[in-house]
Amino acid sequence: MSLLELQGVSKAFGGLVAVAEVTLSVDAGQIFAMIGPNGAGKSTTFNLISGLIAPDGGRVFFDGVDVTPAPPAARAHLGIGRTFQVMQPFHDMTVLENVMVGELFGHAVPKSLAEARRDAEAICEFVGISHLMPRDVTGLGVADLKRLEIARALATHPRLLLLDEVMAGLRPTEAQQAVANIKRVRDGGVTVLLIDHVMSSVRDVADRVAVLNFGRKIAEGTFAEVARDPDVIEAYLGEEESVH
Amino acid sequence: MIPRRAVSAVLPAVLLAAAVAFPFWADRAQPYYLQIAINIAIFAVLALSWDLLARTGQLSLAHAAFYGLGAYASAMLTLRARVPVPVAILAGGVFAVALAAGLGVLTLRLRGIYFAIATLAFSETLRVITNQLRFTGAATGLVVPPLLGGARVAQYLVILAVLLLMVLVSWLVNRSRWHFAFTAIRANEEVAASMGVDVVRYKVLAFMISAFFAGVAGAYYGHVFLFISPIEVYSLAVSVGALVAPIFGGLYTTLGPVIGAIVLRAGEEVLRSTIGGGYLIIYGLILAAVILYMPRGLLGIWAAIVGRRRPS
Repeated sequence: MSLLELQGVSKAFGGLVAVAEVTLSVDAGQIFAMIGPNGAGKSTTFNLISGLIAPDGGRVFFDGVDVTPAPPAARAHLGIGRTFQVMQPFHDMTVLENVMVGELFGHAVPKSLAEARRDAEAICEFVGISHLMPRDVTGLGVADLKRLEIARALATHPRLLLLDEVMAGLRPTEAQQAVANIKRVRDGGVTVLLIDHVMSSVRDVADRVAVLNFGRKIAEGTFAEVARDPDVIEAYLGEEESVH
Repeated sequence: MIPRRAVSAVLPAVLLAAAVAFPFWADRAQPYYLQIAINIAIFAVLALSWDLLARTGQLSLAHAAFYGLGAYASAMLTLRARVPVPVAILAGGVFAVALAAGLGVLTLRLRGIYFAIATLAFSETLRVITNQLRFTGAATGLVVPPLLGGARVAQYLVILAVLLLMVLVSWLVNRSRWHFAFTAIRANEEVAASMGVDVVRYKVLAFMISAFFAGVAGAYYGHVFLFISPIEVYSLAVSVGALVAPIFGGLYTTLGPVIGAIVLRAGEEVLRSTIGGGYLIIYGLILAAVILYMPRGLLGIWAAIVGRRRPS
């Protein structure tokens, strides 16, 4: 059964068409990857799914409900969680407090501060940043910030988790760890939709892959299928080395 | 190192005791000090109300608008409708809340400097309009009836109570889930919204609470100093004062804006009486130095002394 469904979703900024009639269906329990060259419209698609921008056309369904008019906070309550490509920790807060925001506000039923703290600690433990909990976010390294991004999104207890380039910029060992983490999240019952450029990681983690180019979906299938698709190879021409 | 628990428990208690005892002494010995203390308390309420809004990332230059509207609404209610002064002062706050709800919704999409400019323009518009309205005394201003028959000690205790209420609200906000919402919104609205924070709700709520206290402060001012005029209560100096004290004392905290207000106003008085003419230049230099070299204000220095990183 599909948890997320995009039906002919489009978005243009001025004259630039960022996303053109993208139709996409993500099944519950999948790890679904969206790949494509820079500027292909992947992050815009994420913004359309999480509700930060409204589409010019098309509809977004989550768990069978049309969420197209719903604001981002309402979508978070329904179970859509996300990370951001440019890491955006909340300054003037500790790592634990950052995660607590998700626990406090990410659910339809509010939690007390004590509950939120306890549950946020468990999330930090799960993601492997519990040693950083009392720290201020200023001065954290890239890998830790990416883990914090995931922890904050997980703290809203999403049913669908959108991961925007959480493996980019990581060292190979860190990327492997991230892959393992994403699989653990999925095994915990969360459907994952991710964007990434690190093809080896995408190959290792994704059940299904969609390829975007110039805002259009040009291919979809398993990693092996899309990797030998002529349109995909052409889209990545000059970037071939990254498809292996 | 001073134990921080002792500091955070004892310091407010000592301050409070001194603040309550003060007028009974000052009223006999130094009535002028009482007037200064009232001034400081008004300023502290205004500063803390500004800070509360700033915690959501909204840097307001509209506090003169709330202050001025509170002053005028309360004055008009007592003069034209014979409303008792204490009730009118509260009503002044309510008027400011209504204004803030409207302004808050209008400026929701504006951030940072754009928000500041919009609120400044709004404030100035109110001043210009009031300046022309014969109904409110135009540029001449209004003579306002006194609060509690002009009894200074009682008047002081009233503003002290308002300040304590403002302090309590601020303290509760900083210890509740609101603190998390405000801080997240201030850092990044889009991320906060994606994590389920109802950004609009919290921004407008902060706006309304902030405006209430600013409006009450302005209303109180009129009924204690017995005269208001547009150029005074809608002055940019009111808005700037409201933001300088928190920056000077320590942003996003309860104690910082209050201490900032006390030190700034008291310091201004000391400079005025010791240096005389030109004291504002020295005052400005000290202010600039503090803001440049102590970005976390007086509380930042205090925090460094007691070894605490983030004052509350």
